[in-house]
Amino acid sequence: MRQVRNIFYFYYKIAPDLCPMKILIVEDESSLRELMQRTLQQERYVVETAADFAQAESKIAAYDYDCVLLDIMLPDGNGLKLLEQLKAMRKRENVIIISARDSLEDRIAGLEQGADDYLPKPFHLAELVARIRSVIRRSQGRGDMSLRMGNVRLDPDSSRVFIDEQEVVLLKKEFDILHYFLQRPNHLIDKAVLAEAVWGDHADQADNFHFVYAQVKNLRRKLDLANATIELKAIYGFGYKLVERE
Amino acid sequence: MKLITRIALRLTLALAPLMTLWAVLFYFTMIEEINDEMDDNLEAYSETIIVRMLNHRELPSLDSGSNNSYSIEPVDSLYAATHDGIVYSDVEVYIPEREEHEPARVLTTIFQDAKGQYYQLRVASPSFERDELGEAILKWLGLIYLILLVTVIVVTLLVLRRSMRPLYELLQWLDRYLPGRKHDPVPNNTNIPEFRRLNEAAEKAVERSEHLFEQQKNFIGNASHELQTPLAVIGNRIEWIVDNTNPTEEQLEQLVGINHSLSHIVKLNKTLLLLTKIDNGQFPEVSDVDVATMVREEASIYGEIYEERNIKCNISGAESLVVPMNRTLAITLIGNLIRNAYIHSPEGGSIDITINFDRLEISNDGTAALDAERVFDRFYRATKREGSTGLGLALVKAIGDYYSLGVEYHFADNRHIFTIIRPKNLN
Repeated sequence: MRQVRNIFYFYYKIAPDLCPMKILIVEDESSLRELMQRTLQQERYVVETAADFAQAESKIAAYDYDCVLLDIMLPDGNGLKLLEQLKAMRKRENVIIISARDSLEDRIAGLEQGADDYLPKPFHLAELVARIRSVIRRSQGRGDMSLRMGNVRLDPDSSRVFIDEQEVVLLKKEFDILHYFLQRPNHLIDKAVLAEAVWGDHADQADNFHFVYAQVKNLRRKLDLANATIELKAIYGFGYKLVERE
Repeated sequence: MKLITRIALRLTLALAPLMTLWAVLFYFTMIEEINDEMDDNLEAYSETIIVRMLNHRELPSLDSGSNNSYSIEPVDSLYAATHDGIVYSDVEVYIPEREEHEPARVLTTIFQDAKGQYYQLRVASPSFERDELGEAILKWLGLIYLILLVTVIVVTLLVLRRSMRPLYELLQWLDRYLPGRKHDPVPNNTNIPEFRRLNEAAEKAVERSEHLFEQQKNFIGNASHELQTPLAVIGNRIEWIVDNTNPTEEQLEQLVGINHSLSHIVKLNKTLLLLTKIDNGQFPEVSDVDVATMVREEASIYGEIYEERNIKCNISGAESLVVPMNRTLAITLIGNLIRNAYIHSPEGGSIDITINFDRLEISNDGTAALDAERVFDRFYRATKREGSTGLGLALVKAIGDYYSLGVEYHFADNRHIFTIIRPKNLN
């Protein structure tokens, strides 16, 4: 038994991604809940769901999760109460609050009560995945915050990118785009969403996205030149997706 | 026409026929009264004459200075029978002393002496000139009418002005009132019940309209809020299909179409939500925003976005202008104006931005003036441009109103000029 645990611990240490993460989705809106569940399952998470406060309460009491996605506006209670209960039970679940009430007070109240992140509705599923990864990575406290995919490594702290450990010089916008995609690998990113994330608040209102195409083109060329094993695949009419080359 | 002018005019009109009626009545009553008095005198005089005659005493002389005159004629019994009683009449008599005709009151009666002979007695007393009396009455009445009118109007005006003060206070208050804005309570310092009721009614009406305004505002806010999640779900589902199934080119084309329309709705919804939040004052966080730097940053972003249109953007004025504002609102305000200038500039056109302490001016090339009255209205579009929400400038206006900034548009020298003006009394 002890051996088994040791092996498990070993795997957890060297390859945490192999050990499936458990996620609880607390969301009363069935359509959204189902979408979140399907997306996260595709990301190889083990996903449980709760449609209301009572269900969530009993699941939290009975099981341990790596991350709880918590809608604070539930039909039978305030999700913030669940946060208090988690704290009272001395559980160390990561909690991401999901709420349509994207006012500052809610955000502060949630974070003050121990939530790890706050994601205002509506959100893109790629965004949700990126937030979950970031929260889990933070809680595991691995010193290396680099994002890796294929032979590409991006170090957010020093803003440098390495391909096969050779540094590739990227311009600011190119770096931002790659950073954004590396946080959301294998997800289709809408060009408007990308524009907003990289260029700022109102760039998503632009009439055309030539400026996005131009920057992505430059980034692709640099990745190709350095023989990167990842590529930005264009999905006509929608945007791009960062995938590993086959 | 002002209420007071109208009241004065109506009083003038109403008094005129009343005074006329009064004049006529006065005239006839007066004549009646005078005739009555004269008739009494004539009767007494005629009695004196008859008594003296029957007693064979000396009759009064005709020129006794009393101006009265008389004549006695014997008449036959037949005439007497048909002319019984006392008859009064107004006649013109010839007065030989004055050698002219004068109006006179005449009494005619029949009497019989002891021998049975009938006599007709006519007694005349000089009377007044009716025309002259009428004229005099008319003259005086006219004068009285004018005096009365002036008095009445002056008094009415004074009284009205005093007692109508609550009404004018209420009117001034209503002039200042704007729905949805902070307002003073309805003035109600009067003891007159009618005005108290009017003020209370105004207060209630304002409350009702405030309530409706609030409801409508909330409705738009709630509607767009409710739409958010279903819209996001649709978007995510479309992305899922594109990502996880292998749609044919035809299917993909349709999906792109759906996504395109969807992003337009999402954009519209987002903007409506933002407008509602601004109107509800849900941006209380204020920080020091360097407007000049923000303008340069936004201009460079949009310069990049619209690079292929070769638009030149010149920024002049202050290098730094720090204003206490909400950052999101400041970016929205400046971003929308600059984006607007880029979108509506012709290819190769130029944009001029001037940053001054109290004003920010953004101008771009154009061909015809926009409707300055409506350019900041929601869903006003000068041109039907695909992807336009028609809310960009409404957003600018809403933020301007929120910070009491002046937001103006004018067209000069073939340029659209938008100006944001900071009022002097505000910091």
